[in-house]
Amino acid sequence: MRRYTRLYWEFAKSHMKVMMEYRIDFLIGVFSVMLEQFASIFFVKVVFDHIEQINGWSFYEILFIYGIAATGRSIHQIFFDNLWTLGWQYIRPGKLDRLLIRPVNPLFHVVADRLHQDGFGQLIIGLIILGTAIPQLDLVWGAAEIGMLVIMIISSGLIFVAINLFFATFSFWMIDSLPIVWAVFNMSDFARYPLTIYHKGIRMFLTWVVPYGFTAFYPAAYFIDKSGYKEFALWTPVAAIVCCVIAYAFWNRGLKAFASTGS
Amino acid sequence: MRKYWQIAKGRMQENTAYSAWYWAGTVSAVMRLLIIYFFWQAVYANQTTIQNINLETMLTYIVIAMLLQGFVGGVGNELAENIKDGQVAIQLMRPYDMIFKLFAVDVGSKIMYLIQGTIPMVLIAYFFMDLSFPKSPETIILFALSALIGIWIGTFFDFLVGVLAFWTVNVWGVRVLKESLITFFSGALVPITLFPDWLRIITEFLPFQAMVYLPVSIYSGLITGTEAYMALGIQLFWLVSLYVLVRVIWTQAIKQITIFGG
Amino acid sequence: MITVENLKKEYKLVKRDPGLKGAIKSLFNRKYETKHAVKGIDFSIEQGETVGYIGANGAGKSTTIKMLTGILTPTSGKVTVNGLVPYENRQKNAVNIGVVFGQRTQLFWDIPVRESYNLLKHIYEIPEHEYEETIGMFTEVLNLEPLLGIPVRQLSLGQKMRCELAAAFLHRPSVVYLDEPTIGLDIAVKVKIRKFIKEMNQRWGTTVLLTTHDMQDIEEICDRIIIIDGGTILYDGGLDEIKKQFGQKRVIHFELADKEKFVLPASLDGQVELLPNEEETKVSLSFDHETVKSSFVISEMMSMYEIGDLNIADPKIETIVEELYNKQEQGGKHEEILANS
Repeated sequence: MRRYTRLYWEFAKSHMKVMMEYRIDFLIGVFSVMLEQFASIFFVKVVFDHIEQINGWSFYEILFIYGIAATGRSIHQIFFDNLWTLGWQYIRPGKLDRLLIRPVNPLFHVVADRLHQDGFGQLIIGLIILGTAIPQLDLVWGAAEIGMLVIMIISSGLIFVAINLFFATFSFWMIDSLPIVWAVFNMSDFARYPLTIYHKGIRMFLTWVVPYGFTAFYPAAYFIDKSGYKEFALWTPVAAIVCCVIAYAFWNRGLKAFASTGS
Repeated sequence: MRKYWQIAKGRMQENTAYSAWYWAGTVSAVMRLLIIYFFWQAVYANQTTIQNINLETMLTYIVIAMLLQGFVGGVGNELAENIKDGQVAIQLMRPYDMIFKLFAVDVGSKIMYLIQGTIPMVLIAYFFMDLSFPKSPETIILFALSALIGIWIGTFFDFLVGVLAFWTVNVWGVRVLKESLITFFSGALVPITLFPDWLRIITEFLPFQAMVYLPVSIYSGLITGTEAYMALGIQLFWLVSLYVLVRVIWTQAIKQITIFGG
Repeated sequence: MITVENLKKEYKLVKRDPGLKGAIKSLFNRKYETKHAVKGIDFSIEQGETVGYIGANGAGKSTTIKMLTGILTPTSGKVTVNGLVPYENRQKNAVNIGVVFGQRTQLFWDIPVRESYNLLKHIYEIPEHEYEETIGMFTEVLNLEPLLGIPVRQLSLGQKMRCELAAAFLHRPSVVYLDEPTIGLDIAVKVKIRKFIKEMNQRWGTTVLLTTHDMQDIEEICDRIIIIDGGTILYDGGLDEIKKQFGQKRVIHFELADKEKFVLPASLDGQVELLPNEEETKVSLSFDHETVKSSFVISEMMSMYEIGDLNIADPKIETIVEELYNKQEQGGKHEEILANS
């Protein structure tokens, strides 16, 4: 574990050096992602200019859900973005072989191969949203609440990672599963709004099958009493751990299958 | 003209295979429809109109806007890739106008997208969401005309963004930037009439509303009568201006290739 | 050091009729076709040996190397490298091996070469002083100094390959697998690379297993060659022995002074073989030098034609290997070839 932490640091240092060399591109990346997020928040704001609440949720409460999703996703985007490229960057051109002949865990290597600059834009905008929403909510914030918020955000990020990892793993059998990963990732858009607005079937799906509900709605619901999900929301970290374990086990299976067919 | 049609046909054939991307796109589009439907149902739960727009008109607007937005992209991505891998220099030696060639490719993929992507989606949307149809044949003709112009404005704009690859490295970032600008200012998410006044005024001076908002408003009856013809006039203005800009910038870019070798 | 026993690798390929109909049919009724890439091979390599592993495209070379490195799990048979089974202890095995895949880079694409080496230092946990010493030496031998600050994607093929080699030897592995390290390179770089490999082998006793289509590589680097074809080993032995055993073929290239239609002299009929030649005025004759004397061929030719120039080719490993492949293709089993020649 300590070895991998140090190794990650070395990888990250190299990436940062490169990023600093292309400063303009770094800024374009950060700025464009911020604008992208800002556009979708502004949409919600425009709608709320004309109404009071959606399904009992005020503008700032929805903003809060949004903020948790954006911050959680930034963890995924900054550190684990390379999972998207497993098929076309590693398996198709045979570059995965390069990782398999090194004395490190291949998943670690894939993940460490990239640090995604645009994710920093996501992080900044996520924190800004949270900073805007939280003071407007009728909550008491103590150390325990802040600690819980951090845990919830990390869990949210891990669920994003686990879901992407799980579906990227299909690349071991079909060379590039990017379309699947992309389609599944788009489901995370559901989680921007209170799950209670959806049909029951969709709610169940986002809770038990592809658990994007735990990336935003449930963590936010923990802090908002009237939601009625306060207790259920406590399962968020457990959901994150279970997702990661399942995804990693599936990855290992995929890797094994890859070793017997060799692409 | 004929060779460009052949190029377009070639692209249509390439796109006929029902690929994984096709299914992924369809699934994503259905999910977006679901989100739109439930979101606006919830918004209208406590009121019957917002700015004089009822739920039916609103859903019609949003769904048509979403479908139309699928067409306002273009060949910018392909152009940017061609620039990055040096293909442009080779393409320039071929006996066709590269801009027309790219547009022909684009027309090819859009026709396939219309058949494979949009038509099934329209059927699903009308079947499950009871959207409204335009009141008169005149409206339908005006919408078709307006949508066509809007799509070409989007195509020209996309081309301009693609050309930027001559000068920037982070092509992906620029694309995200462009997507966000269009999503927001074109009125693809929400009718521009709902915007706060200051923003609406800014939007009226930008080309983006001519891509989605104007045609869809004609369709859903938010813009009628002489206003509709005015809207077409605005669109034509943008269409011509952007095309001139495309030609001017492309000439500059080619100079860049021939002098610096790309 | 490396032992391979009865190693086999089979791939199952889905057999599918063309078109949409075929695709749908294959969904319900899958027919598999088994491809035997490696059909039970045995060999063992001692520490410090330099072995050329050669064969035509698709002969099973890459599959073998993938199994030796642990990337691929064999269908049956056994491999051990330094006492480890590579595909079972892939990461442990990886510490002791270095690999160059000629067409793919092992380095990090976007970052400068120096940074790449630094990362490899941490990945292989190379002690600082050892790393400094190694890198210093490589920089000198391979002339890397001007390349260190450049990102890999901006290097030319030859520059990349020099950096690649240094990366493979950086952690002083006991075995290095080189899969076509000289492919597509110009002669000057090839020479440099061969010298480097040879030197590493002598200095550290590194075991080298090399695949290549360039027989010059083999002649200059390897003491021993293993020839594989169709998944089985055709020949395994010393480089000198193979020359003695198979090297009776001689080729003489003649350049005719006049542009006339060439007809083989009657006295040489059945004794020599006319090799195809692109230029009209050039004629190449191949013969067995145990039964036919070179002087005889030359004098017969000179009596019939006016010869501008001639040149007797050495029995090159290249021609030997070509012969072996050809015979194999003509249908004989490899045992027969070895017995007959």
